[in-house]
Amino acid sequence: MTIKKTMLGTLGLLSLTASPVLAEGTINVLTWEGYADPSFISKFEETSGCQVNATYVGSNDDFAPKLMAGGGVYDLITPSIDTTKLMIDLDFVEPLDTTKIEGWNDIYPKFLALDGIQKDGAYYGMPYVWGAIAFMYRDDAFETPPTSIADLWREDLKGKISLWDDKSAIYVAARKNGDMNIYSLTDEQIAAAQKSLVEQKPLIRKYWATAGELVDLYKAGEVVISNTWAGYQSSLLADEGIKVTEFIPTEGAEGWMDSWMIVKGSPNQECAYKFLNMQLSEQGQCGVANVNGYSVANAAAAKSCMSPEQFKTLHQDDPDYLDSLLIWQPLGDRFEAYTNAWNAVKAQ
Amino acid sequence: MAAIIELENISKHYSPTIIGVDDVSLTVEDGEFVTLLGPSGCGKSTLLRMIGGFEEPTAGAIRLADKDVTFDPPYKREVNMVFQDYALFPHMTIGENVAYGLKTFKLDKDTVRTRVKDALMLVGLYDKLNQRPQQLSGGQRQRIALARAIVRRPKVLLLDEPLSALDAKLREQMQIELKHLHEKVGITFIMVTHDQTEALVMSDRVVVMDKGKIAQEGRPQDLYDHPANPYVANFIGTTSFLPGKVRALSGEVATIAAGGTQITAHPDVTLSEGATVTVGVRPEKVKLLAEGETADNVFEGTISEVIYYGLGLRISVTLADGSKIDADTLLPDKLSHSTLPQSGAPVRLGVAAHNVFVFEGTVTP
Amino acid sequence: MSFLRRNLPSMLVMGIPLMWIALFMLLPYGIIVTYSFWLKKYPTFIPAFQFGNYVTIFTDPQYVRVFLRTLKISVLVSAASFLLAYPFAYYLVFRCRSVALRTWLYMAVIAPLWVSYLLRAYIWKTILGTEGVLNSFLMSLGIIDEPSSLFLYNQFAMVVTLTYIFIPFMVMPIYTALEKIPTNLTEASADLGMGPWRSFWTVTLPLSLPGVAAGFTLTFCLSFGDFIAPFLVGGPDGNLIANVIATQFGAALNWPLGSALAIVMLVVVLTIVSLSDRMERKGMTGGV
Repeated sequence: MTIKKTMLGTLGLLSLTASPVLAEGTINVLTWEGYADPSFISKFEETSGCQVNATYVGSNDDFAPKLMAGGGVYDLITPSIDTTKLMIDLDFVEPLDTTKIEGWNDIYPKFLALDGIQKDGAYYGMPYVWGAIAFMYRDDAFETPPTSIADLWREDLKGKISLWDDKSAIYVAARKNGDMNIYSLTDEQIAAAQKSLVEQKPLIRKYWATAGELVDLYKAGEVVISNTWAGYQSSLLADEGIKVTEFIPTEGAEGWMDSWMIVKGSPNQECAYKFLNMQLSEQGQCGVANVNGYSVANAAAAKSCMSPEQFKTLHQDDPDYLDSLLIWQPLGDRFEAYTNAWNAVKAQ
Repeated sequence: MAAIIELENISKHYSPTIIGVDDVSLTVEDGEFVTLLGPSGCGKSTLLRMIGGFEEPTAGAIRLADKDVTFDPPYKREVNMVFQDYALFPHMTIGENVAYGLKTFKLDKDTVRTRVKDALMLVGLYDKLNQRPQQLSGGQRQRIALARAIVRRPKVLLLDEPLSALDAKLREQMQIELKHLHEKVGITFIMVTHDQTEALVMSDRVVVMDKGKIAQEGRPQDLYDHPANPYVANFIGTTSFLPGKVRALSGEVATIAAGGTQITAHPDVTLSEGATVTVGVRPEKVKLLAEGETADNVFEGTISEVIYYGLGLRISVTLADGSKIDADTLLPDKLSHSTLPQSGAPVRLGVAAHNVFVFEGTVTP
Repeated sequence: MSFLRRNLPSMLVMGIPLMWIALFMLLPYGIIVTYSFWLKKYPTFIPAFQFGNYVTIFTDPQYVRVFLRTLKISVLVSAASFLLAYPFAYYLVFRCRSVALRTWLYMAVIAPLWVSYLLRAYIWKTILGTEGVLNSFLMSLGIIDEPSSLFLYNQFAMVVTLTYIFIPFMVMPIYTALEKIPTNLTEASADLGMGPWRSFWTVTLPLSLPGVAAGFTLTFCLSFGDFIAPFLVGGPDGNLIANVIATQFGAALNWPLGSALAIVMLVVVLTIVSLSDRMERKGMTGGV
């Protein structure tokens, strides 16, 4: 009897001490570095009472395997627009109640129109940040600045070229070949892109896999030209005192956009929506822009919290720039043809 | 007979204080069976290894059949070694092991086969030709090691404690076999052992070593009957030592005060009157005297211990001056316990004058 | 009841390793084998029983090519490790007179095992890089005028790095094998007329072969399954089979093909292991 009493007492005590935390909740987010930076998340945790645990991915390819390994761990994820559709089709995410998200209507209409974040009339993703897969060169290596994708095929730059180790290499090669329908390439066009990439291979120093790796390659003087996540690696290199210039080639650049999605069955709905609201507000939008140097999806919020220069640098006032980008699209069942071609290039 | 091995002032100093072999000179005649005898650490193995070429002397010269081989590596010397643990190659058959030493001779296949066969027949193990060393017993491996060395027809065969890994029975048998083998092949044998019986049974000549030096060399019976010093006297057989003083000298006969009495002896060394000496007596030469019986020398004392060892008894006796002497007595008949000598009983011991060793100086046992 | 009580200890003793094997070996391999017969279908894959994945592996040249490349790299790493490790171990066992120096040198080879794999691989990046230590050294000697990019981001760099990382696994078994050879065997060989070189070929080397086989197996299998070195120091032509498998499980989301690749890789490795095991066994009974 006494033992039972003591145990009950202990349990009661435990629930007493634990209850405040449980009531306010903890959310686990699987995201890119910078998207849950303490510089703006700490304040959110204080005011909302929601704890945020962030796990970082290195690639869009990490989302599916991590969620396939078993549910119930993550509440929120931020895949890019070429992967959001896969998340929906895999039934990993649930529809958003957009009425609970303040500022939803301030999001660029172009993003809200994208197929990748909706299904059957419901939204599954909340557009957050965007940018270009621009190209970048080291200033001291060029007398005449490069302007074209073809510059990544120049013999005289042999051993000083890098390219993102991603299926997007096919997009780059296709545009070099004049195929601008990069998200709906035919088998022949993919084969042609594959052939171009194989031709380029002897010129490549290394395919870069992570942002940090590309920065290291420039820093160590191994590479002078490559594609890049616009705004991100160039600013990291600027911090190191290495002068690089980003450019949009004449063949155009791809655009990417990351959206917040709620994992299906997440028990922390209240905190999740509080978190989404914060991320779309000035606090989240300028927070991420300051950390990563990316453009944001809520132009209205950006206008009020950014300096005019920053606003301009991030092309927030430039609808034409956004329109010029070939925003990533889900490849659906063509996905395999693209990845297979890219893998074949690497196997060569 | 001609000298086959000449060691000239050989020394092996590992460091100024660690001395393996110290200024040893030795000549071995062709066809001789010479044994280097001594306790472990006396330098006998080092000396053998220097003859084999496995170690280089720090001073001196080694000549093999009149040729200086002091610094020749083993593979350039016409000597072969039988190693203590036989050192048979585990990855080769018996046949391959024996044929191994013939490779450098560039013989044709048939000759090799015949010589391997002859060598294996000699040791009686030709039927093991295709087996591996691991499948053989200790004694068989020993014989294979011999065959492998002999097949090369070396000028000298070196044997490093060849029988030490065998059990007592097998060891005795192999001692005789080795001796016969030596007679049959006519090769010079130089063996190292710490077992005095082995040395006495097998060799033509025994070299007793002590602390890197030769203590005495000679035929087995000479060493036994005329040890040059207490060390040899005690290493070959056993000897009881008594302190003594020379009282009188006349011709070959010396009168010495020892063991509380006056004894006579025929010393091998020249003494002077009044000199301090050590008298040595082998237990097997001491006789228990019966009532009224007499001898050249008679010691009186009390039995302090009786040890039974099957063949006979060893009786320890304390003499009048406190020194001790051992006496062995054979038991030709089974005796009842009551007739055996008892501790504490008085006893008289007799020793013939020619059985008394006399060494100069004192000995600390 | 009494049967159970009597046999419980032995059942536990037997049961724990059996459960371990079942849980951590048979079950995962079973899952992988099952997956290897499934079918890729957007968005993921569906259960099936067909050999299409295996057919793909042996018909699509990209997989055969990567397998051959991985084989080549692994053999080169094993060979390079052997060529470096054998003289080193030989020196330690037979030539190094000072016990302190021997211990010290042995530890110098083994100690890097305690350092993180990644750190060790990164070190080679800084050594072999265009602005790296090797280039500065060669330039200061005047051997080259401008930094060479030939050292890093290619198969050479991968072989160097993997050799460095896995060489302890070659040194250890060879050292042990050499140490077990009684010195009197080499003495006997010399005594029987063989010079140092012939003694080495006919006695020391054959008797150390079990150690060499073990070292080859370890370094080969470790290199065969490596996917970090290609990532860190490999160039565009540095994709190894483990990288392809990782891609199939990640980016390509084609677990069935990835599983089939893993099974083929397992078969290759098991073949090597059983071959070398047979060789070691033979070496132990003296048959080389």
